[in-house]
Amino acid sequence: MAFSGNFMCTSFKQEVLQAKHDFTASTGDTFKLALYTNSASFTAATTAYTTSNEVSASGSYSAGGGTLTSVTPTTSGTTAFCDFADLTFTSATITARGALIYNTTTGSGSGTTNTVAVLDFTADKTSTAGDFQISFPTADASNAIIRIA
Amino acid sequence: MFMGSMDLPREKLLVDINTTNNRGFTPEELAEQCVKKIISISDNAHPGVRDQARAFSKDIEKLIAHYMQQAVQSDRTSVYNALTDAGHPQLAELIRRL
Repeated sequence: MAFSGNFMCTSFKQEVLQAKHDFTASTGDTFKLALYTNSASFTAATTAYTTSNEVSASGSYSAGGGTLTSVTPTTSGTTAFCDFADLTFTSATITARGALIYNTTTGSGSGTTNTVAVLDFTADKTSTAGDFQISFPTADASNAIIRIA
Repeated sequence: MFMGSMDLPREKLLVDINTTNNRGFTPEELAEQCVKKIISISDNAHPGVRDQARAFSKDIEKLIAHYMQQAVQSDRTSVYNALTDAGHPQLAELIRRL
């Protein structure tokens, strides 16, 4: 079992059409990012956050991962997209191969673990008593992490 | 028929992962990351424009690093005073010398 690429979760696509996710900054839902070892096996069929194979708590990283700061969705041309601020876990000893982004807000009928996307780091990334930072791509129509084209 | 797509590139590294060992990020490292957020330069841009943009981004990076260094020093002054006021002058001095 191992990471096998990036996936926008199929359940998320359905839930977007059911208005179960709100990415609006400040007033929208709370999204989190959890880190996993390469023993995790996620695909587009992954529907929920799990503690199985999540990296151990260290420094500012605790079970469930860190809260993402969402940037209100916007558009460019015919593409809509949204972004997250970079996330840093400090004073942490972590080896992670990938991550899950999930929604913890129940407000619109979703649960507290509904997945959004699976991110594959393509190799193990390690911090030792240091910082572990996830830096999201440029927020534009070609690169933003979540886009509807 | 409308066909929208939300799928992610399967094999590509979508996010940058930056890590450190036994230290935090330096102002220079953070300034480099900060500039990437501010200025995006296409590899397909006209060479003249591209070179000018790259030179500009390097200048901005140095400026941001400078002010980040000042912020770190200024914060240490605040921490130094807080520790001194709390009766920990030796610890305060340790922080000041970092």
